[in-house]
This record gives sequence, structure tokens and C-alpha cells, in this order.
Amino acid sequence: MRRVALVGAGVSKFGVRKATYRDLVWEAGKACFDSVPGVKPKDLDGLVVGSVMPERTAFQSHISSMVAEALGIRPSALSARTEHMCASGTVGIRYAYAFIAAGLADLVMVLGVEKLNQPVADEAVLNMGTGVDREWEAAFGLTAPPCFAFAAQRHMAEYGTTEEQLAMVGVKNHTHAAKNPSAHFTKGATLDQVLGSRMIASPLRLFMCSPITDGAAAVVLASETRARALTDTPVWIRGTGQALDGFQLSSLHEDYAHWPALKRAAQAAYQMAAVGPHEIDLAEVHDCFSIAELIAYEELGFCHKGEAGPFVAEGRSDYGGDVVVNPRGGLIGCGHPLGATGVAQAAEVFVQLRGEAGARQVPAAALALTHNNSGMGEHVVMIYGKEPA
Amino acid sequence: MAEPVITLRHFFERARAGQLTGVRCRKCGELAIPPKELCPACYERAWEPVPLGGEGTIASYTVIRVAPRAFMADAPYAVAAVKLTEGVSILGRIVDIPLERLAVGLPVRFRPIVRNSQTAIGFGPA
Ligand SMILES: [Zn+2]
Repeated sequence: MRRVALVGAGVSKFGVRKATYRDLVWEAGKACFDSVPGVKPKDLDGLVVGSVMPERTAFQSHISSMVAEALGIRPSALSARTEHMCASGTVGIRYAYAFIAAGLADLVMVLGVEKLNQPVADEAVLNMGTGVDREWEAAFGLTAPPCFAFAAQRHMAEYGTTEEQLAMVGVKNHTHAAKNPSAHFTKGATLDQVLGSRMIASPLRLFMCSPITDGAAAVVLASETRARALTDTPVWIRGTGQALDGFQLSSLHEDYAHWPALKRAAQAAYQMAAVGPHEIDLAEVHDCFSIAELIAYEELGFCHKGEAGPFVAEGRSDYGGDVVVNPRGGLIGCGHPLGATGVAQAAEVFVQLRGEAGARQVPAAALALTHNNSGMGEHVVMIYGKEPA
Repeated sequence: MAEPVITLRHFFERARAGQLTGVRCRKCGELAIPPKELCPACYERAWEPVPLGGEGTIASYTVIRVAPRAFMADAPYAVAAVKLTEGVSILGRIVDIPLERLAVGLPVRFRPIVRNSQTAIGFGPA
């Protein structure tokens, strides 16, 4: 297999945007091209677009061709759209990676985009409901917050995790987002604010949840030869893993505080990269809800099972700690425009490992991990390095 | 392809009458609920319906305060994943248990929630 690197990255402003779906594509695409002056749209031989529900939110299908045209890309080796609910972006990066590693493409853009906010607010909630099993779960009025609340209640019952510890994830990520001009929320939050915010599904309060957000992000992946010709500071893909345990909530282990699929995805990525969890300098993890970030610490091996609450409370997942988790502000601070999220995580890793992250730079960052999920039983992990091996 | 032994419609018809029903694999004995296409243990398709006792304990739960529009009038309400005595789990709405008494491990018993023509799975006090 050939080595593959990121050579460019850009994100749109995340938030409740007046911009159309196509506007968001353009904003992220332009920012990405601006980051790598040697690449023009015509130079790309591939495009993968991660997007979950443009058919519902923008009344548009045929997405990869639409994006290719909007950005002036003429794919000659790879053109595809990926839909894997909240993990669509990282799943797209894996496709591009595999094509380049196999020698089937040389220079591929992966763009993630979602326009979730609708003129009728209820429509956004209804649309998000398409991600759970329609006949067995949506029929109960089950949406994403209650599913992750099950994990939180179980983690609290088994390990004594507290509401304060859940809130500290919200405080950390809102605080990080205040240094990220692209984030949905940029005002930060105190512990009192998080604990005083509206209860959504116990024990998850508003500031422990990711909001409904519009946004887009793009990265360019290149073969080793092309990467070295384009930049002195490529960011190398070192490992990747994906694992699924089930779609329906009832197919999962009924102990929702354990996510064995995440553990397997992480092990595959660590093994491929030949690194361990304690070598990771920063991690972009899928904090769709604060409990997800806590369980991710454990399954990714940053701490032992059951110790995630103290881990965040002691600042071990913040600047100056063991590993900086979600320096861009995570899904809680940046928002979660489904297909864009995994690509935005990669874009953050790109600037961090090049030392270009400004006010939120993780000192001496050399190894980074991203984690994207599409449910408690479906996970994707990537490992990136400043050095190729 | 053959019709499943128990369809969604039959599952809810029986639930409406007060009987929770699973399916058991005639090849390997695996028990499943809700009905599935293939046996997840042996990949055969040889289901037979089996009545379930309806007793179990709360594996996890949450009290929903911000609900989708169709359920807004019900909020706050609780949903739980219940591990049945037979070893399988199912989701249900909690009825007739004070919200502050809910806990992981609390024993509960199945009861149908019938509203107009709709039947939903509910769990009340054991
Ligand atoms: Zn079987």
C-alpha cells in the first residue's frame, strides 16, 4: 500500500446559517483550495462527498456531481457520495484513503456538508429521526438524546459518574470553541451555566448536547509523491479502523456504558499505526453528547474503564493534561452538521499537526486521533502523524 | 421469501391483548425480540413465536423533557430499555411509576399502552 497524506483543509463557518447547501459547499471548498496553493480544481482526480440528508433538507440528490460542478472538479478516477449518518465524513475519508493507497487515485478531495436548519424548526427534528429504526424506535418518540441518555444513566449507576463530570465536558468544549471562529458557539460556558441549562433527556442538559448546525468542511488527500511535491508539511494517515455492532438499540449489549465496537475500531487503528493511546497528543472525539466523550476516553484507552469522570474532572483531557480532547470545541461547541463533522475533525488535525492552530494550538503535537460515530454501536477511528511512520 | 412467523402487525396485535411475544430459532434456540429477518446466532430463518412473561428489570432509562412534536403533550415522560427475565431487551414507555423512583435494576412488568388505534409497549410496576 502507498502512503497517503492530507495536504489541504478548510471549513465553513458552522452555525444556523442563511447560506444554502451549495453556498456551504463553496465556502468550505474555497477555504480548502486556499490552504494548498499548488492544487487547482482541475488537478484533483477524485471527489468524495459525505452528506446525510440533502434529499430532505435541500431537495437535492446526485450530490457528488453537483459538488464537482460547483467547485470545478472533473474527477477522472473516483467520484462518490457517502452516507453513514453522523460518521459519513470519516467514512468518505476512508474511501479516498483506500483508493490512493491502492494506486487507483492520486489526489482526492473529501468534502462533508449538511444544511440541517429549516424554516420550519420541527422539520429538522423530524429529519434527524430518520437515523433511528423507524418501525421499532422512532415509533416510541425516541430521538438521539434519549439513546445517549441511556448510556449516561448506566455509566452513572455502574461507575458513580456524576452530573458535574458530565457537565465538565460541556464546559471544556464550549471553552475550546470560544477560540475557534468557525464554531457554532463562541461565548464559552461555566459549570453553573451548563448545570443550569434546560434538561433535555435526563441527565443530559442542553449544554451537554450538540446543536442542530449547518456547515461544511473539506480536505485534500494525496499520494506520497504528490504530497511531497505540494507541501513541506503533509499530515500523514497512519492508521484507520471501523467496527459495527448493530443498528437497533436493542441489538446492542444492554449495558450501554460499554461500547465494544469503539474499542475494536481503535485497536485496529492503533495496530496499523503501531502506536498506543498514551502517545496521542490530541484527539477529536465524537461528543454528540457529553457522555459519548467520557465513554470514548475509556474505549480509546486514554483511561481505564469507569474512570472517565475523574479523568475530565482532573483536567487530564485538557491543555496541560494527558491528551487534549476536542481542541476545536467538539460537536458540543462547533455543532454537528452530520456529514461535515468527520471532515472538520480531520481539518482540525491538519492545522494542529502543522502547528497552525493559533490560539488553540496543542504544544508539540505530533500524533492525533479522530473518532466519529453513527450510534453507540458504530464507530470509525483515524490516526494521523506529523511523520509518515 | 417466506413471511416471517411473526410480523410487526401480529406483534402489536398480541401486545394489545396483553401478551408480549418473541421469536425463537428452531435450529439453535436463540431468542429474539423484536422479530428479525435472520437468526443472529446461526443465520437460519426458522423462527417460531414464543410468549414472554413480560417481567424484567430496567437496564437503563431516561426522562424525556424535550420531545418531538407528536409526543410534546406527554412530556415529561420516561422511556426505558428493559431486560426481560428470558434474557432479551426491549424498549418501552414507563407508566404508573413516579419518575423519581426510576433506577437501573428496578423490576418492572409489561403492559400495553393503547391509544386510539395505536398500541405501544409500556412497562409499569412489577
Ligand atoms: Zn439460530
